[in-house]
Amino acid sequence: MTFASILEWLIKGFVWVMILLGGFAYLTYYERRALARIQVRIGPNRAGPLGLLQPIADAIKLIFKEELMPARADKLLFFLAPIITLTPALVITAVVPFGPEGLNFPLFGRVITWQIADINVGILYIMSIASIAVYGIVLAGWSSNNKYAMLGGLRSTAQMISYELALGLSFVSVIVLADSTRMIDIVEAQKSMWFMVLQPVGMVIFLIATLAEVNRSPFDMPEAEQELAAGYHSEYGGMKFALLFMAEYDKMIAICIIAATIFFGGYREFWFLQNTWFSVDQTPILGPVYVFIKVFILLFGMIWVRATLPRIRYDRLMAFGWKILLPLSLALVFLTATGILLAQEVNPLFMWGIPVVSLAAGFIAILGMYQTLRRKEHARA
Amino acid sequence: MATPAPVAALNLSARFPGSVTADARPGYSGWIVEKGKLLEVTQALRDEFGCDYLSSVTGVDYLPEGKMEVVYQVYKTTGGPGLLVKVQVPRADPVEVPSVVSIYPGAELQEREIWDLFGIQFSGHPDLRRILMWEGFAGHPMRKDWKEAYYEEDGKPFKTRWPEGKHALAESKNPFGDNISYPAGFDPEKWIPEDAEKALYGALARYEVRDEAGLGTDHVIVNMGPQHPSTHGVFRIAVMLDGETVVSLKPVMGYLHRNHEKIGERNTFLMNMPYTDRLDYLSSMSNNFGYALAVEKLMNVRPPERAEYLRVMMAEMTRISNHLMAIGALTNDLGAYFTPMLYALEERELILDIFEAVSGARMMCNYFRFGGVARDLPEGTLQKIKDLFFERLPRRIDEIDRFLTENEIIRARGIGQGVLTAEDAIKYSAAGPLLRASGIPYDVRRAEPYSIYDRFDFEVCVRQNGDIYDRLMIRFDEIRQSLRIIQQAVKQLPEGPVAAVKPAYQVRVPAGEAYGRVEGPKGELGFYVISNGKPSPWRYHVRAPSFINLTAFGPMCTGQKIADVVAVLGSIDIVLGEVDR
Repeated sequence: MTFASILEWLIKGFVWVMILLGGFAYLTYYERRALARIQVRIGPNRAGPLGLLQPIADAIKLIFKEELMPARADKLLFFLAPIITLTPALVITAVVPFGPEGLNFPLFGRVITWQIADINVGILYIMSIASIAVYGIVLAGWSSNNKYAMLGGLRSTAQMISYELALGLSFVSVIVLADSTRMIDIVEAQKSMWFMVLQPVGMVIFLIATLAEVNRSPFDMPEAEQELAAGYHSEYGGMKFALLFMAEYDKMIAICIIAATIFFGGYREFWFLQNTWFSVDQTPILGPVYVFIKVFILLFGMIWVRATLPRIRYDRLMAFGWKILLPLSLALVFLTATGILLAQEVNPLFMWGIPVVSLAAGFIAILGMYQTLRRKEHARA
Repeated sequence: MATPAPVAALNLSARFPGSVTADARPGYSGWIVEKGKLLEVTQALRDEFGCDYLSSVTGVDYLPEGKMEVVYQVYKTTGGPGLLVKVQVPRADPVEVPSVVSIYPGAELQEREIWDLFGIQFSGHPDLRRILMWEGFAGHPMRKDWKEAYYEEDGKPFKTRWPEGKHALAESKNPFGDNISYPAGFDPEKWIPEDAEKALYGALARYEVRDEAGLGTDHVIVNMGPQHPSTHGVFRIAVMLDGETVVSLKPVMGYLHRNHEKIGERNTFLMNMPYTDRLDYLSSMSNNFGYALAVEKLMNVRPPERAEYLRVMMAEMTRISNHLMAIGALTNDLGAYFTPMLYALEERELILDIFEAVSGARMMCNYFRFGGVARDLPEGTLQKIKDLFFERLPRRIDEIDRFLTENEIIRARGIGQGVLTAEDAIKYSAAGPLLRASGIPYDVRRAEPYSIYDRFDFEVCVRQNGDIYDRLMIRFDEIRQSLRIIQQAVKQLPEGPVAAVKPAYQVRVPAGEAYGRVEGPKGELGFYVISNGKPSPWRYHVRAPSFINLTAFGPMCTGQKIADVVAVLGSIDIVLGEVDR
C-alpha cells in the first residue's frame, strides 16, 4: 500500500460520495415527479425549469432550519445516529464495478479501475455493511426518548434482521452461479445470460428483501406515517433529519446498483445489443451508462410500488419473511446448486432446469399463501 | 325478546301506572318518566317493547320552570318511528339522574357530554369526566344562566352591533380581560391541569402481565394525537399497549369544540343554517337537510315538489362525495401512499363543481331553506349532472372498486380485523355504514322515510361481517345506490317553484319540540329543536353520528395491533367538526 494508492482511493471515494449525494437530491426530485404522475398530479415544477432546482431549495431550507434536541434525549447517541446510518449507505457501493476492464486507463504509472476497491470477497463485504445500517436506526429511535421513535427503531431492527436472511441466501445463489465472490467476476459471468434469467425467483426475493432492508413501502414499518407519525426520525429536524433522509435514499440507490450488478448484468450491455457497436466489449465507455439506465429503471420500480401498494401489517410482514421468503430462498440455493452439478456432470442443458424448477417452487409458495388467505375467507363466511 | 309492538301503539303509562305520564305540553310528545323508575322503564323498553337502539340522549335546561330534562330517543332496529322518553329533575345542584349505560352502553359518551355541558350528574356512569370542555373549566356552558365572554343578549341580532345602522364589533367596546372572572384564589398563570391526565390514564384498564418465569412486563401508554397524521384532525387516542397489541383505548376529543349548540341557541332559526354546514364539513348538504326537516316539522310547512327532488339529489351527491373521501382516507390509513385518495378526490371535485353551481360554494353550501331550497338549478347544470352521474361516475366507481377491493394487502389488512358484531353495533348505538356493515339493515331513508325517499327504488346496503373490509365495501355499495337514486330523481324532476314560502330573514316558529333525522353519509344525523315561539331556538341539539360512532371505537380496537387502530378509525370515518361541535 503506497501513498499513491491511498491517494487514488481518496480521490475516487470523494468523487463517488459526491455523486451519491447529488444522486440523492435528484432521486427525491425523480420520486416526487414520478409519484405525481401516477397520482394524476403535476409535482414540483416551480423552482427552476421543470422544477429542477427544487432539491437545492429543499437543501437550503433544511440547512437553515433550527437544530432541535429533545430535552431528555441521549445527546451523544442522538447526534451520532444519523452519521452511523448514513456511513454504510455511502460505503456499501465501494466494491461495485462501473465499467469493464477495457475502460481502465493508466495515470501516473497506475492503472485506474472503474471501481473503488477491487476485493475478492466483494459480495461478503456488501452483506456485512448492509447489516450495520440497522444500528443507526435503532440508536436514533432509542436516543430520541420518544415512544413512536422507540417503536419505529425496534420494528426496524426486527424487520431488517429477518429479511437479511432471505437477502443473504439470494446472494448465495448468485455466488454459486458465478462461481466467485468477486464483483467483476459476477458481472463477467453474466456476459451471455443475465442471472435474472437463470434465477428469476431469486431476483424477486432479492428485490422484495431489499425493499424491506431499505424500509421502503410496502415495508416502511419503521416510519409508518399513519401509525408512528414519523417513526425513528420523529424527533429529528434540520440537517440531522436531512442525514437520515439522505441515508434512506442513498440506500435505495446503493441497493439498486447492487441489484443491477448481480442480477441484471451490471455494466454489461442489454442482451439484444450483444456483438454490436453498443456492446461494452467494443465500446467500453458505455459501461457506466448501462449501469445508470438499469439503476434508473429499478428505482422507478421502487417508486411505483410505493405509489401503488398499501402497507403490510407488522406481524404479517414478519410471517411473510420467516415462513415464506426464508424457506423459499433456501430451496432456491439447493435447486441452483443441483442444477449446476447436473449441468457439469450430465448435460449442459440441465442449466435450464434451474429457472424452470425455481419458478415452480415460487409458484408453490404463492399457492400456499393464496390457500391460507382463502382459508381465512372461508372461516369468515 | 317478545314480539315488538308498534311504537306508536305503546302505552307506557298503562305498563307503569303512576310513574310514567304522557308529555301533555302543547307541541310536545313522548313520555315523562319518574327519575327513580328510569332504569326499570328503559330496561322494559329494551327487553319487552323491542326498542333496542338508543339513538340520542340530550339535556334541556328549562330555566324559567326551574327544572332540567334529559331526553332519550329510542328506536327499534327493525324500523318505524322513534320514541321519546324524558326525565325531569329539579334544577338544584347537584342535578342527578341515574345513568342508562348499563342498559344502553351507547349512552356513554353522550352522558359525558351532558355532564360536561349541563352539569347533570349520571350516577352509575363508569367514567364520568368532562369530554368536550377542558378539564378545570368552571361551570357548564349549556345551562341557560351561563354567560359567555362578551355576552350581550340572549338572542341575535344584538342591538349594539347596529348603532345607527352601522356594524360594530363588540370586542372593540369590551377590551379583553374586563369580563373574565376567576374563582377565589385561582391564578391562571400558576394553574397546572394535572388531574385530567391522571383521570384519563386511570380510565385505561391497567393490569400487569407475568410470564411463567414471573417476569413482569410493563404496558406502554401511547398518545396518538392530538398531533398525529392519521387522526383525521385534532383528535387524540390514548392507547395502552402490550407490545404492539392494544390492551385498552380511550378517545379524547374536544380540541375543536366551539359550543355549536350554544351558538345555535343565540342565533335565530335561519342563522343556524350556515352553521350546520360546519358540523360535518364534508357533507354540508346533508346537515342542512336534517336541520331544515326539524324546523319544518315545527313550522308545519312542506317544500314544493321540485325542491324535494333537488334536496334528495343534493343529499345523495353529498353521500357520494363523502364516501369517496372516506374510501380515500381509509386506504391512506392502510398505507397506500395517497394514490387511491387522489383518484377519489378527482371525482369528488366534479361533484363539488355541481355544488358550486347550485349554491355558490363548494363545501359550505348553505343551500337549504325552510320550505324549499335557496335557488333553482342554473342553466346547463342539469346536463352536467346527467353527464356526471349517468356516464362518468358509474364507470369510475367500478374502476376504483376493481383496483382496491381485490388487492391482497387490503384484504389481509381488512378481513376479520376490527370486528364489530351486530349485537355490539346496536349496543353501542353505532349508526350508518358502521351499523349496516355489521349486518343490521337499518337506514333512516327506509326505516322512517322522510322527504320523498319512499318514491325511489333503492336497496338498503348491508354486509354481514362487520370488519374493516366490509366497512370499506359498504361504502362502494352505498355509492352505487345513491347513483340509482340520483338517476331516478333526475328523470322525474318536475318543473315548478323551489320554495314554499317567501324568503325572509325571520321565520315564525310555533312553540314545541321536533326531531328531524336524516340518513347522513356517516349515519343517523338528528336535530332536536325546541322552540318557545321566540326568534331563536330554546334548545338546539345535534345528534352527531361521528361522535356517537366513536363509542364503539374502544371495544373494536381492544386486542388488535396498533396498526389496526388507525385502520379502524379510518373505517369509522369521523369528521372532527362534527365530533367536537
